[in-house]
Amino acid sequence: MNDFLPNISLMLDSVLDSLLWFYPELVLGILFILVIITDLFFSKRFQNAVFLLTSFGLGVVGYFILLQLNAPSETTVFSGMIRPDKLSTYFKVILCVVSLLFLLFIRDNKELKSHDKGTGDLHAILIAVLFGMNLMVMSSNLLMIYLSIEMVSVGSYIMVGYISGTAKQTEAAMKYALFGAVCSAMMLYGMSLVYAFTGTLNFIDPAFLSGLSSVSTLSSGIALGMIMVGIGFKLSFVPMHFWTPDVYEGAPTPVTAFLATGPKIAGFALLIRLLDSLGGTKAALDFNEILGGIALITMIAGNFSAIWQNNVKRMLAYSSIGHTGFILLSVLAFSQAGQKALIFYLSIYALMNMAAFMLADYIEEKSGAKNLDEYKGLGQKLPLTFFLFVIVLVSLTGLPPTAGFIGKLLVFSAALEMYNSTGSLLVMVLIIAGALVTLVSLFYYINVPLNAYLRQSNHEVEITEIKTFKIYLSLFLTIIILVLGIFPQLLTSFIVI
Amino acid sequence: MSVLSILVFLPLLAGLVVIMLPTAQQGRYKYIALGATLLQLLLSAFVYINFKTGADFSGVHQRRQFQFVEQTSWINLDLGTLGRLQIDYFMGVDGLSMPFLFLTSLVMFVAVLASWEIKTNLKGYFALFLLLDMAIIGVFVALDFFLFYLFYELMLFPLYFLIGMWGGVRREYAAIKFFLYTLCGSVFMLLIIIGLYFSVTDPLSGSHTFNMIHMMDPANYVGGSIFSPSAGQQLFGISARLLAFIVLFIAFAIKVPIVPLHTWLPDAHVEAPTPVSIILAGILLKIGGYGILRICYSIFPEAAIDSSWCIGLIGVVSIIYGALNALAQTDLKRLIAYSSVSHMGFVLLGFASLTAEGISGANMQMISHGFLSAMLFFLAGVIYNRVHDREIANFRGLSLLMPKFTAFCMVAFFASLGLPGFSAFMGESFSLIGAFTSESVNGLIPRWMAIGGSLGILLSAAYFLWTFQRMFFGELRLMGGEDWRIQLTDVNTREKIALIPLALMATLLGLFPALVFEKMNSSVLELIRLVNP
Repeated sequence: MNDFLPNISLMLDSVLDSLLWFYPELVLGILFILVIITDLFFSKRFQNAVFLLTSFGLGVVGYFILLQLNAPSETTVFSGMIRPDKLSTYFKVILCVVSLLFLLFIRDNKELKSHDKGTGDLHAILIAVLFGMNLMVMSSNLLMIYLSIEMVSVGSYIMVGYISGTAKQTEAAMKYALFGAVCSAMMLYGMSLVYAFTGTLNFIDPAFLSGLSSVSTLSSGIALGMIMVGIGFKLSFVPMHFWTPDVYEGAPTPVTAFLATGPKIAGFALLIRLLDSLGGTKAALDFNEILGGIALITMIAGNFSAIWQNNVKRMLAYSSIGHTGFILLSVLAFSQAGQKALIFYLSIYALMNMAAFMLADYIEEKSGAKNLDEYKGLGQKLPLTFFLFVIVLVSLTGLPPTAGFIGKLLVFSAALEMYNSTGSLLVMVLIIAGALVTLVSLFYYINVPLNAYLRQSNHEVEITEIKTFKIYLSLFLTIIILVLGIFPQLLTSFIVI
Repeated sequence: MSVLSILVFLPLLAGLVVIMLPTAQQGRYKYIALGATLLQLLLSAFVYINFKTGADFSGVHQRRQFQFVEQTSWINLDLGTLGRLQIDYFMGVDGLSMPFLFLTSLVMFVAVLASWEIKTNLKGYFALFLLLDMAIIGVFVALDFFLFYLFYELMLFPLYFLIGMWGGVRREYAAIKFFLYTLCGSVFMLLIIIGLYFSVTDPLSGSHTFNMIHMMDPANYVGGSIFSPSAGQQLFGISARLLAFIVLFIAFAIKVPIVPLHTWLPDAHVEAPTPVSIILAGILLKIGGYGILRICYSIFPEAAIDSSWCIGLIGVVSIIYGALNALAQTDLKRLIAYSSVSHMGFVLLGFASLTAEGISGANMQMISHGFLSAMLFFLAGVIYNRVHDREIANFRGLSLLMPKFTAFCMVAFFASLGLPGFSAFMGESFSLIGAFTSESVNGLIPRWMAIGGSLGILLSAAYFLWTFQRMFFGELRLMGGEDWRIQLTDVNTREKIALIPLALMATLLGLFPALVFEKMNSSVLELIRLVNP
């Protein structure tokens, strides 16, 4: 014990130094406590107190993240636990925006607003989840990965089960928690194996790679595969996708929108980190090829399953699985080039999905239509809503002149360049599959305008389009999607890597 | 801001005005659209008159020989190791594209006049209509492949909704079929565009570019890149450039349409409301032909020569198969739709011959078919509007009831079947002359194809004359009896305003084909020099 005494001051110094890179997370931590206190003691008197505090707090967090963007850290901090470099900071910006959108979305959701519990706790959970996601994108240590994923997961379980009004919602929450628990257990087991092989938990440590290369392919493959299971749960790629449709359908719509964007984007950041440290060596196991296979299956399974969905949220869930496959393609091409392509695509992906779920939610609140065949004839009654919805879906399909198209173009460009340099047939197959599923995705996206505009409803219902905050927010997002489709440099010029 | 930009964005502006105007004023929408298209017509007439001809203005693959050029940097993204993504707002016209501007403007003007029949949801209709107008003009003037693709895809949505919302009974089926067919072609086109982008560099800036004109010069290709002519890369066992040519050709051929890929056309044309049928037949099909010349032939010339025989064969098959199908139709609109397939076959035959006569003839055929098919669909719409029926067998002796209508029909039918003195004769005969001489000039397609093509003229005479005889001659006998007799009034002034310019153009181009030939001659020669040096 005495041997360590002189080191204590050194360690304290390093922790204090590290805190410099930790302002956004510190603010989140303080905010978390403040929100709980405010909710407990003041929410009766000032109804908006929690919301105002949270949004103000997120603004401060965003400010600190932007500051960090100008001066990112080159090294790891907190004894190699996290690495707040430029790439992770870009992800943090996206996550912060997603959380802000979620916050605004909650405010205008009838189901959550009218719930007895109120939305105060949800705000606190959101802050905790954002904290976890920030750690996820920065982590450079396997334990940190586990810790942050668990933090996000536990928060998400509560979010999904926040209302649990019907059996379906309860089932979704239960399913999510059980599935998540199994996945994270497997991931933890994989990590312990990796630790046994390499003797380090720090995956950017050179010893990590050399340790992995020294054991047999089968062993390292199993260990890494198990870690992938944990990440795959967050990304919902095939075959870890079974929870997605049920949870997306059962959870309150704002939560679904959040799950489809926030944790997923954080998961991708994590995957990039991990692949980055695994790449560069010719370890016996070619991880890229396996991921390529997963990307292919995910693209195909997600898009084809979406065709047979009638529930709008389920359809969007499967479409987001399909998107996962496509983003995996860009993650694969990532090592070669195109960090910009990926960040651009993920930002647009977040905006598109947020807007799509907001509009679906609005339509459900106004007309009670949850299924596609209930959309019949609504195009005339909710003209602006469906106009926006169509544009957002066009963008999700990836057709011009929307930002979704530019994102697709950038991903295809990166992939084709990778094919040019490696000549890998798998990449070519992935590219062609990516083009084909665009066509497939049209089959289900088109169901929305098909029902809304081309078909007439059998029974007349009086619906008037009262424009709520949600509509203005989606209008704003749609305008961004269109503007970025025509002038993408407005966003990309901010991304300097 | 030059005249081309105004031409492109004028409809968009008018569309915005339509959206802004409250629904209470929906009676004015059509006049706004009419004003916009009329202005557009005047502007394209201005372009036509000021278009310079001669060897110095042939265009095709020489940047400085294009006219009314606009070029500014539009998207400029730094993609790290991928280099810079350089996309220009680059527009210009040469002899290959200029005639289509005038065609588009006139057909659009006629289509607005035909839109008087639209009664529901006028705001949506005219907003989509004008958006479509913008996209079509954009396709013809874009010289940057990215910009081209943008406009090309932008055409899809308005058409989907125009067919799907205002169409006939089976509109849902027709709209989705049309959409999927076209998207099927264009999704793969996107991959080729990206591949070309990485293969070509701008000789000035050194960065990759979407500039079509740079893509036409083999010197601009990066050595060893996927589409480099010298590298001879292979993909799935065949030459990458040939594969790219085939993919692009299929994308455009779906639009033309060629025979195995034509099945969307009868459905879409028949189910669409009259104005949209007019646009589909009058302009949309020509985008396919234009794309084949401007992109497939110019960027992949050697692949074009290699595939000439196949393209010629597809042309002949389309001519004969389309004509035989037309003979069997009982629905007037379906008959016209299949006659379009047949007539567009001549275009492919002319292209395949790669002779000056053939390509000029093919272009002439496209222009002429643009005017004539617009006229035919308008005429079919006139009957349909009055009695909501277009079965040929349900009408007889119409000449007694509607003499003026019969006169217009006579002009349209006789012009379409290739009677000398009308534009279609010029187009078809020049295409056939080109196909016939090809064997001795460049040996690309055999003579029997020309002979097969001329069989198509015979068949088209058969189905047009037979239809004319059945519907207009003999004693008046109508399916709907007295009701129909009252409803079937002769053409009114608005319809005359739409029909007279079309009939006039068909005769004018038949008597003075130089009006078109002269404007595009040097471009055609330059194209042939580029493809087959």
